[in-house]
Amino acid sequence: MPALVAANITKSYTNGRVETHVLQGMSLALSERELALVLGPSGSGKSTLLAILSGLLKPDSGQVSALGEDLWKKSRANLEKFRLRHTGFVFQGFNLFPALTALEQVMLPLDYLGLPRRTVREMALASLEEVGLAARAHLRPIELSGGEKQRIAIARALAKKPQFLFADEPTSALDSVNGKNVIDTLHRVARVHGATVVCVSHDTRLATDADRIIQVADGRILSDIKQSGALAPHVSPCAEAKNHE
Amino acid sequence: MVALARKTLVYEWRKFLPAALAVAFSGLLLLMMTALMLGIFSSAGVYVSRSSGDIWAGYPGTQTVELGRPIPRDTEMWLRMDPAVVQVEPFQWIDGNWRGPVERGSVSVSISGIEPGPNGMMFSQALSAVDRARLFEPGAVIVDAADLDKLGLEVGGVAFLNGHGVKIVAAAEGLRMLGGVNIVTSIATARLLIDDASERDKVAYYVARLAPGVDPDVVRERLAPIAANHRFAVWTQEEFARTAAAYWMFETGAGLGFIFLSGVVFLVGVVITSQTLFAAVTSSVREYAMLNALGAGIGALRRVILEQAFWVGILGVLLGGLVSGLLALLAQGQDVPIAFDYSAAAICGAFVMLIALISGFFTVGAINHLEPANLLR
Repeated sequence: MPALVAANITKSYTNGRVETHVLQGMSLALSERELALVLGPSGSGKSTLLAILSGLLKPDSGQVSALGEDLWKKSRANLEKFRLRHTGFVFQGFNLFPALTALEQVMLPLDYLGLPRRTVREMALASLEEVGLAARAHLRPIELSGGEKQRIAIARALAKKPQFLFADEPTSALDSVNGKNVIDTLHRVARVHGATVVCVSHDTRLATDADRIIQVADGRILSDIKQSGALAPHVSPCAEAKNHE
Repeated sequence: MVALARKTLVYEWRKFLPAALAVAFSGLLLLMMTALMLGIFSSAGVYVSRSSGDIWAGYPGTQTVELGRPIPRDTEMWLRMDPAVVQVEPFQWIDGNWRGPVERGSVSVSISGIEPGPNGMMFSQALSAVDRARLFEPGAVIVDAADLDKLGLEVGGVAFLNGHGVKIVAAAEGLRMLGGVNIVTSIATARLLIDDASERDKVAYYVARLAPGVDPDVVRERLAPIAANHRFAVWTQEEFARTAAAYWMFETGAGLGFIFLSGVVFLVGVVITSQTLFAAVTSSVREYAMLNALGAGIGALRRVILEQAFWVGILGVLLGGLVSGLLALLAQGQDVPIAFDYSAAAICGAFVMLIALISGFFTVGAINHLEPANLLR
């Protein structure tokens, strides 16, 4: 059963008198243990898609259901609660608090779950361990490299063991070694933790590691290819149906 | 909980310093204005509060010492007849015209005629026994040290007061009065300075000391009906000093002006503090958006900002208090009439904290429309 289903979502922005249709009726179903890569040129609507799937942006129409719950029927507070329990984010900018050490950055969102302090600390340390930065736990962002900062941001997203991990251009600010590192981590999150990982990027290097590649252009899905070890690309029925419309 | 508010405040202190300074300066202004107001208005009651008389008798309806008028001579007898009264002395209050050095012209002054003996009650806290004794010499006067410049003379200088030659035999502190120069002399010298011979035997006040342990209020109650029948009125020392301060504060409009000005300071404090705090908080707005994306509720983030405003307030109060203290020391060295009162300082501190917290509530607006989706650009 898919963990995350989007049905016929649309979104448009009005800028002055110009109305831009960013998403034009997109449908998508994502499973757990899957690393889906959304590829597309800038302006194709891939970031908007990610925002809507992750419960950050309300679509104009259509439905998003995650873990069987209709996200956009929830109040803002309940949506925040859902994100708190189930969703992790890795953004292009690392958005780390300058004043906090790596460990504190990771502990901070866990605090809001109301867990005991010791548990929070242990979970945060385990998460830093997973991204290979346990030894840098006491350092502040200013003392860390770009790659390390992104790994801290990933550790922060992973610490609460979310069912969903959304990543927006996580490698764009990184060199190829660090970029590979990040992708490996995302892959592991899907495989080991069983999470649904959605990664938006225009970095085609990531394609080799993704389970599924969704090509987006002009607010529509162009192709949706599963590459679970199979040599031949597989176009998912969902995207196929869409493309025939 | 990770102490996000405090850690950010400490680590990014440069960003929050302007807000703390805005709070500190608002506090400084409020405190100094209050100190000045208290200083000025309490100097209105200085003759009363710096003397050791427990009961004052004067013309009915007198609002403040400066407005004293002659009262009947038998007032002294009525006071002495009360069993609790152990000492009574006259206190003269008349207007005078001072002519010192030619280039100074004439100065309008008030003349206080007191009993110069060592047990005298008037100005007992301001004048030493030695200085008092000097007033036995006819024509001897004592002025406040801060008024010497205004009179254009030093101690030992001579001048004409109401046409009679007088000599400054000493300068003291705490004789200054609101809006004029006070010349202290003996009751005998003062008598000579009254132009109208028919008024020479009358004084403006009688001051009485009570036996130790007697409640002045009880004595005042006892004397009130007698006073009403004999054209004088009695007040306790505290009551008369308070009436004087209240007169200056409410009857002259100065108090209303002070309250108005305090309101302006408060408003300016809130505007500047919230602007500076806003700037400090918006620089972290992406991080707050990130936290919100990860599920931290807007309410929790608001609390972080309010906590920062609280600490900025505490910092501002401490800083403002410190600078105010230093300025107060400086002012006292310059004879500026200021007075500090712990309860007034506490009220000022509370208002300053209110400035910080109201600013915090305004600053919370910085994240009211937080759109974590904007991080996906």
